[in-house]
Order: sequence, then C-alpha cells, then structure tokens
Amino acid sequence: MRLELREITKQFPGVLANDRISISADRGKVLGLLGENGAGKTTLMNILSGLYRPDSGEILIDGEPRLFSDPADAITAGIGMVHQHFMLVPVFDVVESVALGAEPVTGLVHTFDRATARKRVVELSAQYGLHVDPDAKIEDLPVGVRQRVEILKALYRKSDILVLDEPSAVLTPGETEELFAIIRGLAAGGTTVIFITHKLNEVLEVADTITVLRRGRVAGTVLPDETSREELANLMVGRDVELTVTRSPAKPAGVVLELVDLNVRDDRDSMAVRGVNLEVRAGEIVAVAGVQGNGQTELVEAITGLRQVDSGSLRIGGQVVEHASPRRVSDLGVAHIPEDRSRDGLIGSMTVEENYILDSYHRDPYSNGGRLDWKVIGEKAEVGVREFDIRTPSIETHVGALSGGNQQKVIVAREFSRPVQLVIAAQPTRGLDVGSIEYIHRRIIEQRDAGAAILIVSTELDEVLALGDRVAVMFAGQIVGVLSSDQATKEAVGMLMGGVH
Amino acid sequence: MTASAAPANVAPVALSEGHRRAQRAARIRGVIFAALGVMGLSFASGTMSHDVTFRFWLQQQGGDAWEFHAMAGVIWIIAALITGIGGILQLWRGASVSWRRWMALAMPFWIAAIIGTLLAGKPAVLTNLFAGSLEYAFPIAMGAFAAMICERSGMLNIAIEGKFLLGACVASIAASVTGLVIVGPIVAALVGVGVGWLMTWLAIRHRVDQIIVGTVVNFGALGVTNFMYLRVLQLNTNLNTPPTVEAIKIPLLSDIPVLGPILFSGTPYLYLALVTMVVLTYMLFRTRWGLRLRASGEYPQAAGTVGVDVIKIRYRAMMLAGALAGFAGSYLSLHSAGSFQINMSAGKGFIAIAAMIFGGWNPIGAFGAALVFGFSDATQTLLSSLGVDVPPQILTSVPYLVTIVVVAGLVGRVRGPAMAGQPYEQS
Repeated sequence: MRLELREITKQFPGVLANDRISISADRGKVLGLLGENGAGKTTLMNILSGLYRPDSGEILIDGEPRLFSDPADAITAGIGMVHQHFMLVPVFDVVESVALGAEPVTGLVHTFDRATARKRVVELSAQYGLHVDPDAKIEDLPVGVRQRVEILKALYRKSDILVLDEPSAVLTPGETEELFAIIRGLAAGGTTVIFITHKLNEVLEVADTITVLRRGRVAGTVLPDETSREELANLMVGRDVELTVTRSPAKPAGVVLELVDLNVRDDRDSMAVRGVNLEVRAGEIVAVAGVQGNGQTELVEAITGLRQVDSGSLRIGGQVVEHASPRRVSDLGVAHIPEDRSRDGLIGSMTVEENYILDSYHRDPYSNGGRLDWKVIGEKAEVGVREFDIRTPSIETHVGALSGGNQQKVIVAREFSRPVQLVIAAQPTRGLDVGSIEYIHRRIIEQRDAGAAILIVSTELDEVLALGDRVAVMFAGQIVGVLSSDQATKEAVGMLMGGVH
Repeated sequence: MTASAAPANVAPVALSEGHRRAQRAARIRGVIFAALGVMGLSFASGTMSHDVTFRFWLQQQGGDAWEFHAMAGVIWIIAALITGIGGILQLWRGASVSWRRWMALAMPFWIAAIIGTLLAGKPAVLTNLFAGSLEYAFPIAMGAFAAMICERSGMLNIAIEGKFLLGACVASIAASVTGLVIVGPIVAALVGVGVGWLMTWLAIRHRVDQIIVGTVVNFGALGVTNFMYLRVLQLNTNLNTPPTVEAIKIPLLSDIPVLGPILFSGTPYLYLALVTMVVLTYMLFRTRWGLRLRASGEYPQAAGTVGVDVIKIRYRAMMLAGALAGFAGSYLSLHSAGSFQINMSAGKGFIAIAAMIFGGWNPIGAFGAALVFGFSDATQTLLSSLGVDVPPQILTSVPYLVTIVVVAGLVGRVRGPAMAGQPYEQS
C-alpha cells in the first residue's frame, strides 16, 4: 500500500516536535527516514502507530485519509511497528508473543488456540525466511532473533506497511546484514517499509528513497544513488561534519594496563574471558573489536573491579588490581565509560550535578567531613557542562530527561574531570548521532595525546578502525589477533570477528 | 604487547567463587543435617517406651476408627536416619545433592515424632488434623489467589488482610439481618469488589503508590471494623449472630474410608477453593484473558502496543481479586466462629501473600503452600485441645514461625511478574 503523510505537525510543551512534515512511501519500496536524536523521528513514528494524535496534517493510505485514535486503529489499517526497544514479554514463548492481542480463541472462556497460532507463525516464518523456533522462550533468544519475532508480529497482523525504528541499534554486523536481506525480501513481496535510523551507511545500503529530518522538519529527500555520506551528514546536522576524525600517529610510552592469562567468568559461571594477554601503553588507543557477547563485557567489568577475576594477573600502572574494588581502580586514575550508560553510567532520576560527582562525592572539594558542599559542586558541574557542551536546561535537570548524546557527555565530562592515566570506554558512541559521535571521538583522542592509555571496546567496525592505533579482536573469550592500524582493514578484522584466523 | 590466543584446551581452571560458595553451603547444610540426625537418635533413646496412637475416622466423626500404633522412638529413628543420610550425602557429594527433596522426605517424620512425643501417650485423631488443615488453608489459599491475580496483572495488592476483615464483618451483619447464610458471602464479595475498584482508582488514576494504598486499606479496615464491633455489633448482638455455613457431605465420595471424612465432608468453602484453584490455573495459562493478564504484569508496553487495554485489565483483575478476598473473609465469621470478632483475620491476609510467593505465583503451588500454613494452624489447635504441656504463646506463634522459615529459607529463587507494582502510563 502507498503511505503518505501530509503536513504533520505535533507540538509538545516547549517543543515543536514535528513541523509540517510530509513524507511518502510507495508500495514495495523502502523509505529511509534519517535524522539525529531529537529530530522528530520517534514522534512521527508514534503518530503513525496511533500512540499520538497529530495537531494537524493527514495520514493517507492508498490516497484515503485515515485517523488513528489508538494503536489498535493503526494495526487495523495495516501498519506494523518494530520498536527499538522490543515489545516482547521475556517469559512468553514465540507463539504467545506473536499472537498477543490478536489471539485465535475457541470455546466459551476464550481458550487460546495455540495450535492455530503456532501454525500461522510457522507458515509466516517459512514464507518470509524469518527462521525462529516457535516454542523458544523470548528471554533465551539472541537479540537478532527477537527482532525477527517482532517482524513476525507485524506480518501476523497482515501489515502491509512495516515501520522499523532504529532496527540495527542492537544488532551485530552479521545480524544487520540478515535484517537487510529480510527487508529487501519483504519489499519485493509488496510490503512498504519505513526504515528509521541515524546511520548513514544503512540508509544508503537499503533504502529506495531517503528523507532526512532535522529539528522536526524535512531537511531534504534524496535518492541513494545521487547522494553521498557527506551530503546526508550535512542535511542531518545542518553543517559539515568530519565523518572520520583525524588523528596523528600514536607515540606509545610505558605500559599502563597489563593483563596476563586473565580468566573471568560470566553470570552463568561459564568462562567468558579465556587466558587474555594484553598490554595498553600510555599514549595509544587499543580498540577491542568483536561481536557482542564474546567476553568483552566481562573483560571490561574485570578491569574496572566490577567483576571477580577468576585467575590471572591484572595490573594498572604497575599496581596489582585483580581483587581491587571499583573505587580503588577509579582512584588509580581510571576513567570508565560503561557499555550501558543508563544502567551503569548514570542515575536517571538524579540531576546533572549529582551525576557529575558520583565518582568523587566523597572527596575534596565536594565533601567536607561528610557534608556535601553544593556550592562547589554546582560551580564544578557548570564548568563541566560548558567545557563538554552538554545541552541541558540547567544542572538541576534530571539526567534521564537529556538526550542520549548529552547523557554520554555527562559521563565523559565526569570521568575526564579527574587526572586520568587509563580510559576504558565500552561502546562509547552506541545509539548516538553523528555530531555526538564526532565529539566523543575527539575527546578520547585528546586524552590519548595528553598521555593516557586508552582501551576502547566496540562492536562497530567503523569505530574500531577510526580510533584504534592497534586493533585486538576478541572471539569466544580469547584475543584471536592483534593488528596494527595499517594491517587493520575491514576485511581482516571482519574475518577475525567471525572466528576465522 | 603480547596477545596470544590461549590454547583451546585450557588447563582446568580453579573453581570460581560461585562454586566455592555453593560447596561451602552444602558442607554447612551437611553438618547441620547430620547434627539433626544425631539429635533425633538421642530423642529416640529417651522415647522408646513412649506409646504413640494416631486415629483416623473411617466413615464419620466419632464412628469406627483406624488406629496407628508405634513407639515414638521408632519414628524418631526413621526421621533421624533420613536426615542423617541426607547430611552425609551432602558432605560427601557436595552441592550436587538436591537437599530440598531430602528435607521434604524427612519433614513428615519429624512432625509425626514431635507431635507424638508432645502427646505423651494420649491418642490423637489425625482425621481432624488433616481436615482442619484443609479448612484453615481455605482463606489463605483464596487470599493467595486474589493477590496472585493482581500481581500477574501488574498490580501490587497487599490489602488482602483488610479485605478479609471487611468481608468477615459485612458477611456477619448481612447474614444476621437476612437470616440467610448465603447472603453473607455474596455481600462480602461485593464489598471486596468495591474496595478493589477504589484501590485501582487511587493507584492508576491518582498515581498513589500501591504499597501505600494497600497499607491504608489494611489500617482503614481495621479501624472501621473495630468501630463497627465496639459501637454497633456489641450493642445490637442480633446483628452479629449469623447462621453458620454447614458442612456438606459429598455423596459416595464421602464414604471412602479415611479419605472421605478428610476431603469430602467439609464446608462448601473447601470445595470452592479446590474449584477456584483448577479454574484459575486454566484461565491463567490457557486462555486469552490469562495471556493478556500476564503480559500486562510482565511488560505492559508490549501489551499496549498491540492494542491490549492494560488499564482495563488491571481494573478488572483488582475487582475480581477483591471479590475473592472479600468472599474468603466471610469464612472467618460464618464458618466456625459464628460471629464477627475484633481483628479476627489475625494476619492471615499477609500469610496469604507469603503463600502466593511460596507457591511461585501459581494457583496449585499457592494451594500447596496454604496447606502448609493450614497444617501448622491445625497442629496448634490439636495440641492445645489435648492440653499438651507447652506454653500456649509458643503454640500460637507456630504458624508465623512456619511463615518465616518457609519464606526465608525454603523458597528458592522464585521470580514474580516483572512489573508488579509499576504504574503503567498509556501515552
């Protein structure tokens, strides 16, 4: 079906989230909707899925104006949503998850007709090549498969228009490729696909047309063949953006982080890090590449004192820290940018200034015999906000209310406000927009040039290649290869990531 | 920098912290079990001449009986041996022994031995003990079902206690006024529905914390019923003399020897608890209603985005739970007591919540847990009625001690609905 949005406007208190946005997507085509965080993509999607009502403007399906007052209306109209945060009940199995809300029932008390639902799920997954075990529990499935379940959910409801919100944010490069294949298959079968993302490469790869949003407005609509990454980035941000940060060659000095035969177990008690040997020197960036779940999380937690080391040795600046507490590690001058910023990096319901001192509230000048000196804290936080260009209404704003990019800047500002000899940055730019990525990368390189040792863990190949003076690839808990920056090509690293060496 | 891929067949790594902890716990348990075994044997030596007589009515109360005779010492020896072997196995095999099963096996013998010893030769009728367990289990099971429906839908309902009290009070009045016993439970259930609606309205519409709503209802119910009792019912005793619910013998089934008098000669309350258990299990896990209810409690956004009305589901769940809890409250005043008394629920509403957790948010499990609590109640009644030489304060605290032991120690890691108590905002 052909979908058209005409002059959609949505005003929130203080923000004009959508300002006369018009987009259209033809039957069997993929529309890429590109924009930074806060550009109005999510609002537009919520309007399309019936969660919000536009203040003005029309939604037309096959030329007919439609009005959605709740999600059920949008579903009836044939619009299927795949949300960025999967809308799946962890303890349900695949059949239950797919059928929820549209369950086939029998009998007086509406017994759930599982057999019929299961049959449909199996048929659909065969028809569209969405391989998934219908009886598996959601919580046991990897994210890539969960996303297939989400797509099945939409197809089960006979959706002709599929909207995917940041679908690759949680996927590995391999899973992303599979997703693109699925999207192309769906489009070839006549489904209209709207692909919302902030990743330039992805829209260029999969979209038939690209509409770029900026600050609630359409900044331009282009065809992938007639545009470039640079033009798209310019449309998104409104200025020229350096997509790859320039950096001078590293000048490595003494060893700061030294891991010898390190073994670490995961939560399920199986060995996640197996005999890892690694050195990171002052003044260099070592980037650890690898598909999510190959021991990187446990490695970082072990280094920062958040997880018990099983065996092996771990030294930071010559000090033995295998069994050190997180505070002791941080006192050694270790900055930690954690993988999951809302869980491990910030306390969303606390203010910017409170989060700014989370690592040093107990010390001079913030604490004075157990009493917090809010005047000094406020002054220092203001400095951090200015220096790191954190866009926040005030330092008393709850951190949870800021955009992802600004939240990450709060963490970076906090971690870099102390003297630092080692930076551990896990997925430092996950979910951030182009402008913020550039900014964070620059700050990390500044730290390197100031003489800190940097360990970056990332599943984004582009990031690893852009930043790493050396690239170490992790697979199944082991470091399967270390490449210098001129050896590290996409192909070489990609092969190692897949376990081929 | 050195980065070598470690050889694939790594030498066996030292046991992890988690393993060590489990092994240590198993050793400690093993020592405790073994010590209990030795203790049991030492009791045995002192009670070898101690006669234990357990009686079961064959057909009906006071009729022919089947008797079980044994020396208390023998029961002690069996209990001690099972416990001791379990302890030795744990010391020897470590954490791989499923100690909960050993404990479940030894427990009945320990209980029989303790009761037998305390009786000091007096014969005891166990039919009453078991039938009593079932009867006492009724309000706890029903309260657990009510709390479970709420939590499965994502609402936290700690006001079971308050609804018990209100239900007991209005049931007594309604049945007294009309003279019809059936009116009591119906009115109690309706009051429960109203309280359930009020709680949901406060929690959803006005975003009052659900724990606070529950606490307010509990204390409010206590205050209101105290007032009613002291100022109204005591002055007009005719308002507090309801007809009581009589036992109904189920034809044929009640004639089964031994089992008949225990299982099939109870009051309608008992049968209703069993029916509710079966129906609720089916409804929760096999129907559309159950699927949507559980989705609302686990991940309301997931339900909301596919067009399920989470708010409506939660209102209905709370009202249904109110009906069950109010109905269960009527048992307190209309069953054996025959009148409403101050604070007559005596914490049963909280024990019901413990039973829900112990039973793993599952109707059958919750009923089993309620039986454990009912049994401890019935044991207390049995012992005090036989005039056993134990301070009554200790006896009456047995059910609560059992609650603490069960919830703190026996319940392994059970997982309730993920979002219970979390407000859901429909955007």
